[in-house]
Amino acid sequence: MDNQNKQTLQVPPPAGGDRGLLSPIEKIKTESNGLRGTIRENLHDEITGAIREDDQALIKFHGMYQQDDRDRREERAEKKLDRLYSFMIRLRLPGGFLTSDQWIAMHEIAGDNSTGVIKITTRQTVQLHGILKTKIKPTIKAFNAAKLDSIATCGDINRNVLCSAHPKQSTIHSEIFAYADKISTLLMPKTRAWYEIWLDEEKVLDKKEEEDPLYQERYLPRKFKIAIAIPPNNDVDVFANDIGLIAIIENDKLQGFNIAIGGGLSTTHGNDETYARLATVIGFTNSEEKTLKAIYEILTVQRDYGNRSDRKLARLKYTVDRLGVDWFKEEVEKRAGFKLEEAKPYTFTSRSDYYGWEQNHEGLWYYTVFVENGRVLDDEKVALKSALLHVAKTGKVNFRFTANQNVIISDVDEKDKDAIDEILNQYKIFEHTDYASPIRKNAMACVAFPTCPLALAEAQRYMPSLLTKIELLLARHQLSDEEIIIRMTGCPNGCARSYIAEIGFVGTGLGKYNLHLGGDHEGKRLNKIFKKSLCEEEILSELDGLFGDFKKEKNDNEKFGDYSLRKHFSTI
Amino acid sequence: MLAEHKIKNFLDVISNSSKEELIWMNGYLNGIVSTQNVKEEIPKKSGVNKITITYGTETGNSKKLATTFAAKAKKQGIHAKVQNLEQYKVNDLAKEEYFLAIISTHGDGEPPAAAKKFYDHVHRNGFKLDKLKYSVLALGDTSYPLFCKAGEDVDEQLNKLGGNRITPLQKCDLDFEEAAEEWFSNISRSLNGDTSIAAVSSQIISKKSSGKKNYIGKILTHVNLNDWGSAKETYHIEIAGEDLNYQPGDSIGIIPENDKKVVEQIIALTGIDSEFNIDYKDELISVYDLLHKKLNIIYLPERVVKHYAAIVQKEVPLKRIDLLMLLKSYPVTDAAQFLEVVKILEPITPRLYSIASSPQAHSGEAHITVAKNWFTDNDEIKYGLASDFLSQLNENGELKFYVHPNNQFRLPEEDKNIIMIGPGTGIAPFRSFIAERDATAATGKSWLFFGDQHFASDFLYQTEIQNWFETGVLTKVNTAFSRDQPEKIYVQHKMLEHGAEFFEWLNAGSYVYVCGAKEPMSVDVEQTLLQIIEQFGDRSKAEAEQYLDVMKEDGRYVKDVY
Repeated sequence: MDNQNKQTLQVPPPAGGDRGLLSPIEKIKTESNGLRGTIRENLHDEITGAIREDDQALIKFHGMYQQDDRDRREERAEKKLDRLYSFMIRLRLPGGFLTSDQWIAMHEIAGDNSTGVIKITTRQTVQLHGILKTKIKPTIKAFNAAKLDSIATCGDINRNVLCSAHPKQSTIHSEIFAYADKISTLLMPKTRAWYEIWLDEEKVLDKKEEEDPLYQERYLPRKFKIAIAIPPNNDVDVFANDIGLIAIIENDKLQGFNIAIGGGLSTTHGNDETYARLATVIGFTNSEEKTLKAIYEILTVQRDYGNRSDRKLARLKYTVDRLGVDWFKEEVEKRAGFKLEEAKPYTFTSRSDYYGWEQNHEGLWYYTVFVENGRVLDDEKVALKSALLHVAKTGKVNFRFTANQNVIISDVDEKDKDAIDEILNQYKIFEHTDYASPIRKNAMACVAFPTCPLALAEAQRYMPSLLTKIELLLARHQLSDEEIIIRMTGCPNGCARSYIAEIGFVGTGLGKYNLHLGGDHEGKRLNKIFKKSLCEEEILSELDGLFGDFKKEKNDNEKFGDYSLRKHFSTI
Repeated sequence: MLAEHKIKNFLDVISNSSKEELIWMNGYLNGIVSTQNVKEEIPKKSGVNKITITYGTETGNSKKLATTFAAKAKKQGIHAKVQNLEQYKVNDLAKEEYFLAIISTHGDGEPPAAAKKFYDHVHRNGFKLDKLKYSVLALGDTSYPLFCKAGEDVDEQLNKLGGNRITPLQKCDLDFEEAAEEWFSNISRSLNGDTSIAAVSSQIISKKSSGKKNYIGKILTHVNLNDWGSAKETYHIEIAGEDLNYQPGDSIGIIPENDKKVVEQIIALTGIDSEFNIDYKDELISVYDLLHKKLNIIYLPERVVKHYAAIVQKEVPLKRIDLLMLLKSYPVTDAAQFLEVVKILEPITPRLYSIASSPQAHSGEAHITVAKNWFTDNDEIKYGLASDFLSQLNENGELKFYVHPNNQFRLPEEDKNIIMIGPGTGIAPFRSFIAERDATAATGKSWLFFGDQHFASDFLYQTEIQNWFETGVLTKVNTAFSRDQPEKIYVQHKMLEHGAEFFEWLNAGSYVYVCGAKEPMSVDVEQTLLQIIEQFGDRSKAEAEQYLDVMKEDGRYVKDVY
């Protein structure tokens, strides 16, 4: 990496960061009384649908964001109505797993209290949007009744842990999958605030019960993401995470994990100090105990050395680059009390989902449904939400979410498969999944407008129509079968991981996108900016040219991303 | 000149005397007068020393007059007892000797709610008021067909029951001051023995209205305050008017126009020439304009239906009905017969809307808050005439209106605390109050209760209320949104939820204002007020009622409900 600083510092700078001053969020965290703040009082404020600014930072740790419908601001202002504030609630689902009963519960909650859309996220969980302040408690209570929670799915803390989704990936998938839950549990905050505020659990009297040796009162300097990949599929984009675990399997036995640190894609337009970075593999651990210990200590080092004055430079990737990978690794080893072994070899060949029916080694069946942009709803094209509810009501399935925002109807017995088939047929899910083009099935877009406060440009609302136009271009160049990975984010924060796409669109303003090229197909290489701030017409004209050249000049089996790098960035 | 008992004795003596005796008495009296001049200097002492002045009021005008007259009477040495008809013990009527009633009329000839009990009582027969000497001052608005009807009824009933008029019934239009003065000075003279005013049954109507100022306003802003997905449409309308003069608490009166489509149908149905001019209240006006802008053609009252039946000579059921429906079911023979019908139609009555702006904060403007009313009639959705008319106004358009004062609904002194309960469009006068208190930097505390169906779409004036709360103009705000949860929550539930503090405010002398729907809202709110006084003021039910009565008498509990 260009930005990596290999120099090992003898005396690392103070944890507050080199500028010394703590960011305002740091104060809010430490003075929050275990993430309680004045959230409860805010809920009783009858004249606003919002909560106080300080508490907006705290509710993230409870798994929710305050948003408002940006499309409606102007008209509501004329009507003397405040912004239409609502909340997004994101579930904690390590590895992205729901039982059929839980799916039914979520379906009903979404209908009662939110926009009705069940949104599968790029982090294998689901989130509901448009929940009014007065509906948060009923929503969370209903989730709790279904044994679901939203603890720590946002905020400066370890978030939902990812794991390669498809059980056919390995005969020991379930053993590896269990790590997602183990890691999530290990890194949960100790405060009972979530239970107290949202479920009216009795107040904790003895503060010692809540003592948190990991997060203390400061929590982490910034969000923290962990993913587990089972080669050869990198469906979780393991290198885009703060910690990436790569399962090493030999003879159907889990040997341990390669550990990679310091991945993260978010950047800030116009801030050269920020950059996307892929995680660096630093070693291997051969037991559950050591793996968990190493992960835990990576968090404590980041807790103690991460930048707490500039939030734009607070992710682990900057700490690793500032202090050096070697220093960081040594510090982790020192704290863990053991040395990491040398990383094992591994190969990734894909990061796509296995659409359609697949069978695992035990003979259970799995049907991966294409869900455009992860939005489960009934629309004029397909009644996906009704179909999945119908499937759930059979009680014969589980649901697994993929990091590509799709859902896998899972763990279906041979004898039940026909019944599920019938439902999928009835709702035309087969056609919906089969007829979606390869680029559409591999595409990803973030939420952006109207609810995301960070959005500069459209993403999930716009991407489908742009893809239709790109499909036509590909057809013109006889490239329709190419599985080019196209991703779009409405701002530079990279939620849809556009920096590791073969074609990445990063919003710069309404209707304007930077066009990124040169990422690889498997998610091992970042792309680069090819053209800045293009409008749709310019995008299509650029792509038309690029596809034409690609068709003429590509080598056998050469992927679009590799070709683009060779063709356009070879001098760099 | 002489008190009644004296004149009676005097006349008795005269009638029983011979001519010689009378000449002697004349000489005798002359002698007394010439030697006792001083007696003439003694201030004229009225023969009457006790009168009762009662008032039935909705807007406070009658009350104001009653207290003014009582003060005048006292100066003349007459003890005047002022009583609200709401608290008046009807059985006392038989004991009264000199009894004055000042009573206003509302809607379709109805008495004020506070005078309903009294009004009903005098309409019962079976008792006599032989000793009663009375006079009625009726307040009203000539824009309404049943002008001063309640006062008329009371005057007539008291007469039927055997009462004698001191002076004839006096009817007053909105500019009532002068006529009211005249009425009382006639009474004073009469009580002092001047019999030049004949106590006849004819009535006096005040001079043609001149003080009711009509404005032609310009619509500055016209916006539906409810957001998408609301079941309601509530329009905030800002109107600019030249030399506009009003006080917070006042209303404006607006005469809505009829739906052009309906007017055109009527004209087509009757075959009348729409441009035919008719003399209407001293002006020539076309049939079209008359039907469009002047005459009420919808939901005709039974009395008009009765006249209609007589004109077309048909059996028509006596129930309220639209003119168009009448014409369809019981057609007129020709255009000439329709002209007869036009003559029996009553004027479109003005609709009153509480002013939602403050003269201090919104100089030269009157704002109103209009909920578009709708109801179903034979499965057909119909809209209220005025709210439909107002909802369709355009910015920069014109609107005629006048100011209707409401002296009862006034802000107290600036340092007094107020509690305002105004769900739905009931918020309107409180927006005026709060803006006024804001603009004048009033020091009293203010507590607002607002409610509607949904928080997200129906929180009228939300951003303004937020600003007033942030700047401290509003001390407390509580809201109740009835349909945001399975159980219905209304303003009264919020009052009770804060009952302890509510009572503290009451006990510290706060003024309580209620505006909005009469039923069920204002009834429920009143019940809750009593409950709060009982529960948090540690009082019995009767004591709580008494507590509220005292508040009413002190003007600390007032309502503007509809």
